[in-house]
Amino acid sequence: MKAVKGKYYFGGIHPRGNKYAASAAIEVLPEPEQVAISTLQSAGKPAVPAVKVGQTVKEGEIIARADGNVSSNVFASVSGTVTEIRDAADGNGGEKYIVIKADKKGEKSYLPPLADPEADEIKQRIFDAGIVGLGGAGFPTAVKASPSVPVDTLIVNGAECEPYLTCDHRIMVEKTEEIARGARYIAKAIGVKKIIIGIEANKPDAIEAFERFANIQPVILRKQYPMGGEKQLIYVTTGRKVELGKLPMHVGVVVQNTGTCLAVCEAIENGKPLYERVVTVSGKCVKEPKNLLVKVGTPLSNLVEFCGGEDGTPKKVVAGGPMTGVALADYAMYTHKTTSGLLLLSDKEAAADEPTPCLNCGKCADVCPMHLMPMNTAFYSSAGDFEAAEKYGRASACIECGACEYICPAKRPLIQAIRKTKAALRSAKKPEPVVRDVAGKPLTEIDGKPVEQSAPDYLKANEKEENNG
Amino acid sequence: MDNTVVVSTPPHVKSKRTTRGIMIDVCIALLPCAVAGCVFFGWQALLIILASVFACVATEFVYFFIQNKGFSHKCADAKAVCRRFIRQFDFTSVVTGLILALILPTTDKWYEVFYEVMIGGIFSIAVVKMLFGGTGKNLVNPAAAGRVFMFISFSLTTYVACNFGYVGDSGSLETGATNLSVLLGSNPTSAESLLDLFLGSGVKGCIGETCALAILVGYVYLSVRQVIKWWQPLMFLAIFGFAAVFMSGFGFESGYKFDMSLYLPHILSAGVLFAAVFMFTDYVTSPKNVWAQMVYITISALVLAILRYLTGIEVASFVILFMNLFVPLIDKYILPRPFGYVKTKRAKEGK
Repeated sequence: MKAVKGKYYFGGIHPRGNKYAASAAIEVLPEPEQVAISTLQSAGKPAVPAVKVGQTVKEGEIIARADGNVSSNVFASVSGTVTEIRDAADGNGGEKYIVIKADKKGEKSYLPPLADPEADEIKQRIFDAGIVGLGGAGFPTAVKASPSVPVDTLIVNGAECEPYLTCDHRIMVEKTEEIARGARYIAKAIGVKKIIIGIEANKPDAIEAFERFANIQPVILRKQYPMGGEKQLIYVTTGRKVELGKLPMHVGVVVQNTGTCLAVCEAIENGKPLYERVVTVSGKCVKEPKNLLVKVGTPLSNLVEFCGGEDGTPKKVVAGGPMTGVALADYAMYTHKTTSGLLLLSDKEAAADEPTPCLNCGKCADVCPMHLMPMNTAFYSSAGDFEAAEKYGRASACIECGACEYICPAKRPLIQAIRKTKAALRSAKKPEPVVRDVAGKPLTEIDGKPVEQSAPDYLKANEKEENNG
Repeated sequence: MDNTVVVSTPPHVKSKRTTRGIMIDVCIALLPCAVAGCVFFGWQALLIILASVFACVATEFVYFFIQNKGFSHKCADAKAVCRRFIRQFDFTSVVTGLILALILPTTDKWYEVFYEVMIGGIFSIAVVKMLFGGTGKNLVNPAAAGRVFMFISFSLTTYVACNFGYVGDSGSLETGATNLSVLLGSNPTSAESLLDLFLGSGVKGCIGETCALAILVGYVYLSVRQVIKWWQPLMFLAIFGFAAVFMSGFGFESGYKFDMSLYLPHILSAGVLFAAVFMFTDYVTSPKNVWAQMVYITISALVLAILRYLTGIEVASFVILFMNLFVPLIDKYILPRPFGYVKTKRAKEGK
């Protein structure tokens, strides 16, 4: 179908794209000698290891089983021997690393391919293949593909709004047919006919590539960050607003990343589970920015070496995108299913400024895509008043895109303040019993009769007076 | 990889503008007004500008020095405090000094500059800005507060708006009231032609306020650099113009008349243009989100028009102070609606 323009959206920033690797075709990274695969490869609970030390595994064999619905299967990305199962350094909740020494035999063990599957078979295969959202959040796709309310639209997220990242761009250009087929499988699974793909205007070749499908509608998004955010994407392509606290399926929409669609297609047609993905290595401090097909669990130093090594000392090394990614201290880390980029940012590109006092300029509120007031949250949370921070700044609706901190001229740590507020609100303690004795201890009985610890109405009225006055 | 890698929370790329950059932009935008003021009002105006900026910066330095215990035993500590001051200096006091000078009239008693202007500058920075918490924490506009302080403290007659003439003139000081008295009196007309008002030639007024052309150049520069929102001064002047024309219609002896030919003279007279571009758009003392800013501008424009008619003098600084005190209230109650917020009955009661 012919591409149409998306709606205008207030808010958002326009950072420089810096898409150095946009024209670099996907290259396959040679197999590493050893991979360390984490069992926590998605949002939710870590998977339970299903192999023992010393066991030989084939490429694509399952090594950890999902623990419940909000969890995903983990697969071996190389064939070899399991040498070690160690706990993660900050493993709270049982995250483990399964280390496999590759034996270069390349033996694969896939699931059986499906031909023309039904909706239930598709959902089961998505779960079995361990497919998670490859946009960065890593939410298990099987849960998203089973909406509990009727939906009518599938939106494929090809926006890739973050600077530097080009992995989605390359797979849209090189694997267009597979993505379209994957989108159709997901559409069949959730029972929709309408498929929309949202692509930013700085990828004209991808837009052209998708125009030739009769039942996929490409929508051109303005080059704005964060147009790839779920709620923003839904509004710009369909005009529907997702209520605060509700999910996209409540407005009849399911959003999936292009990489996820590609993984679904490969899982159904080839039976290939999710154990490798495209990662962008970019930044001024890497000699040759490239897009690499990387196996899960690869040490990051392998990626940097393959791209020619460092070109000068990087100021910051970021796993993921520059606006929401994690800064690393060294290369002793391994890729996950959700790692979309490795950025080596130079002195001039990376930001590491000392904060200065807030100017009250209001630019953060001007660019917030959720139309919140980050300066209020920062102001009240620095004083410890998290209820006021929520009331005036509405931190609970924040999508943590980083646009406010990007634009702030005073370089205030706004995202930190918002995260702190969210954590404080989540762990708000149970209210203390109200009825106390003279010494301040809670009263449990008066004259032998037990005392109800919930405050009677007149006490509540007094509390309200105190707060207002 | 070196050990010099920085690890911090996202975002890892940020926009390049800083507070200092924004303030330097404002200084550049004020330069045309300063130059025009010196051209029209002579070397006394230059002296006032320099004295004001010096007083403001020196006050900030002395305050910082004392606050950071520069007066300690070792001399090296004092040098470290000076270096720290220069590193964190963000030009806000330069902007305050410039604006304070530009809303003052010149005076032929040039020696008064040394104590009146300096005391005004010291008051602006030390009391209004630093005592409230420094950059970003002042409740009212320091330049406007300093101007009002000087208006009240030093004798009123010295500070009648005056026009010294072009530089190189024989230099006789003409004191006189501004165009206002004619605009607001009975049978309002404009004493000066529109072109004179626009270029500032021969107009009586304060140093930076007479040349509308210079202020417009500053406005365009600030809008292009995205320091101020371009629609704010326009909205202010539009509403103010209508309200002022409405109010001065009462002065016609032949009955009430809504005379639109007074629109432009009202806007171009007596410092409203300067206040609209530079002072009502000040970051610190105006509300934080767009809707609150619109309410603030509307009410300020109306109050300025009405008060100017009722008092007959130039009241921009007073109105700025007055409205600044309302800003926290406006900020508290006018908040933007988050994307996807649904107004339910429970939400209205609870929140």
